[in-house]
Amino acid sequence: MKASTIFTMAAAALIAAAPLAGAGAQAPKKGGTLTYTYQPEPTAISTLATTAVPVALISTKIYDGLLEYAGPGLDPKPGLAESWTVSPDNLSYSFKLRQGVKWHDGKPLTSADVKFSIETLALNYHSRGKTYFGNVTAIETPDDRSVVVKLKAPVPYFLKAFQPSETPIMPKHAFSEQEIAEKKVRQAKVMQEPVGTGPFKMKEWKKGSHIILERNADYWKPGLPYLDQVVLRVLPDGAARAIAVEKGEVDLAPMTALPPAEIQRLGKLPSLVSSQAGSEGLGPIMWLETNLREKPLADLAVRQAISLAIDRDKLVDVIWYGMGKPARGPIVSGNPNHFNAALPKLEYNPAKANKLLDDAGYKRGPDGVRFKLPQNFLPYGEEWVRQAEYIKQELGKIGIQADIESLDMGGWLKKVFTDWTYQITSDFHHNYVDPTIGVQRAFLSTNIQKGATFNNSMGYVNPKLDELLQKAAATPDGPERKKLWDDAQKIMQDDLPVIYLIEIGYTHIWNKRVKGLITNGISMYSNWDSVWLE
Amino acid sequence: MRQASLLFLVRRLVQVVPVVLAIAAVNFFLLRMAPGDVADILAGQMGHATLEFTQQLRREFGLDQPVYMQFFYYIGKLLTLDLGRSHLQQAPVIDLILDRLPATVILMLTSILIAIAVGIVLGVAAARREGRLADTLVSVTALVVYATPAFWLGLMLIVLFSIQLDLLPSGGMYQIGAGRTGLAHALDVAKHLVLPSVTLGLFYVAIYTRLMRASMLEVYGLEFITTARAKGLSETTIAWTHALRNALLPVVTLAGVQFGHLLGGSILVETVFAWPGLGRLVFDALLQRDLNLLLGILFVSSVVVVFANLAVDLIYGLLDPRIVHK
Repeated sequence: MKASTIFTMAAAALIAAAPLAGAGAQAPKKGGTLTYTYQPEPTAISTLATTAVPVALISTKIYDGLLEYAGPGLDPKPGLAESWTVSPDNLSYSFKLRQGVKWHDGKPLTSADVKFSIETLALNYHSRGKTYFGNVTAIETPDDRSVVVKLKAPVPYFLKAFQPSETPIMPKHAFSEQEIAEKKVRQAKVMQEPVGTGPFKMKEWKKGSHIILERNADYWKPGLPYLDQVVLRVLPDGAARAIAVEKGEVDLAPMTALPPAEIQRLGKLPSLVSSQAGSEGLGPIMWLETNLREKPLADLAVRQAISLAIDRDKLVDVIWYGMGKPARGPIVSGNPNHFNAALPKLEYNPAKANKLLDDAGYKRGPDGVRFKLPQNFLPYGEEWVRQAEYIKQELGKIGIQADIESLDMGGWLKKVFTDWTYQITSDFHHNYVDPTIGVQRAFLSTNIQKGATFNNSMGYVNPKLDELLQKAAATPDGPERKKLWDDAQKIMQDDLPVIYLIEIGYTHIWNKRVKGLITNGISMYSNWDSVWLE
Repeated sequence: MRQASLLFLVRRLVQVVPVVLAIAAVNFFLLRMAPGDVADILAGQMGHATLEFTQQLRREFGLDQPVYMQFFYYIGKLLTLDLGRSHLQQAPVIDLILDRLPATVILMLTSILIAIAVGIVLGVAAARREGRLADTLVSVTALVVYATPAFWLGLMLIVLFSIQLDLLPSGGMYQIGAGRTGLAHALDVAKHLVLPSVTLGLFYVAIYTRLMRASMLEVYGLEFITTARAKGLSETTIAWTHALRNALLPVVTLAGVQFGHLLGGSILVETVFAWPGLGRLVFDALLQRDLNLLLGILFVSSVVVVFANLAVDLIYGLLDPRIVHK
């Protein structure tokens, strides 16, 4: 617990210090190669092919978003669009593109590329495209530098949609008519050989070994980027990744790219920095999904008992090596605009849990077991297994036998989201920058949909909550919307459709010689144009 | 004799076609029995996919068709030697395999050659000193090495030679971005090859040593060795000229089987040393349900196994002329 507090404080301090870093004693230096490692290797270089972490990490150095963002809450600032205006009714957004921006192949960026990237690509191929652009009625391009997006209803988080990982601006001329007509955009050559407008361009991709990005000399920000090259080294073994970071062969292991035990060890080395800052815009959170379709989980008392039986502090400290903090609800406490700080902490009290189950009529059998509750876990690695074992142990103490069934990713997805045959399982979500994007999909009753992933697998229905969520989705950010989300969080904590576990912090480890890495709430998905090496 | 061998070869080659097709068919249905498909995986990676989105992916990959239709389509393409496209990597399967093939062949060939050479020498040496200290030492060491997990051995070698002594690189196939060519590149690869090939080779050395020793001891019990001794030949000549050739048959059989595995690579050693070979491609493809890629690799490796077995049969005839192919 202490470790996580320190991390959070360090995070806040780093974010606060970020703007000062450039103005401090050290002036940024030009040149050098930043080598990072992440497993697995990306399968494509565009988040239109898949938004998996490794793809988002590398593609955001090559493709710009329409806007850039500042701070943990992602406040929009000019990017490819040098300015923008919003109509008073929040139904029309006009963007003015920067003059003289060129694609890596030398062709000019135009408003047609932006229209294409939103209308044809993001809307159809990005898994959150409909969430961002489902209300778009028209995109007008009055001239080469102007883009006007018209909406049929306001979208409160609309300006957050233009992150490079969410809506990368891609070149229209890189796709053939046939690829677009036959919906074979994922097979386009540009998915493997990217052409962007960002600070780095593709130099070499040796599959199974590495990717080299080199400085884009024609980048639209004069004097940037500082780095000559960004290299991804593919190191599939966790211990080998840690050794490479320790030896200085690799400068950066972002987003918990190392095994947690190694992170704890390396974090203490004087040559390395370990930080959980810079992922606030992703809001990673972990919970136990419960299948509410049958007894005993349909019984609120049972879910309350499970929640009371789990010591979240211990979970953070022992299983996750201090990387995170106990969750209080579906929204992470680091979300500056939407978290309900009045939510009480979730209590650890096995005696109370036992009493709840006794009172609800779940008597212990001769073997001390009240009932069996088969348990699955998200197959993301060793810690997830340990966590399932810990949960089994704690639930055993209150008479629930939670035997563990191990599945690989394909099997787990099918069981939880297509077949609905699980009972309880650990799961992991990103809040993203706005809860309407990342939170509502797991709790809205219209998202009980077989075959879709990471939705309301529980079969949870609460009409009052539905109403609040839908209203919040159409209300501009402000006190009124905050109140809607506060009320919604209260309901979601009382109903416990999932057992909230921990806000799992992404830990980044980098060599001290790397500077300027943490810039906003999506620092690892930013373009690193101001990162430099000492 | 030569004509008989040729006929044998032709007949075996003709048999290869139905065998390989049958393997492809079994692979196809076996892999489809695993729960979940590549659309699930991709939708899972994307985090927030709707049902329409997942269905769109299935249509894109042809997974919305009935399984028998998918099968006929696959076999049809296979007959024209088209292995299809990887769903996830969006590239022709054959390109992905050929891209990784050199790394795997270099690693596996080096390891197996080290293993066969060292294994034969140690095995013969141990057999000649049966029951004495040297024999016990070789046998026990082989057993210990055989029982040591390759990934652990690999990590220990990295700690010793890469971190402590700083003599060899900890992973990869060559220095990234160094832009070496020709001899300089070859030497760089050789330097990177030492630790992974020794790690993998040691495991095989253990196997070949034990096999060679056992086989030599068996041959030593045969009458022609007694005859050789009666003729007054030296023990060295008996071991290396008379016994070895006869004792090699099981070693050749094993080598044949292992050449078949060559394409599969070694997932563990490739993982620990970040060696960009086929083993990891198989592993990733399996976890990601990238069926076309997986089927492609399995197809190519089944072809190699079939041909390796054929080669073993032909080598038998060379080693022991009494074996006649009919």
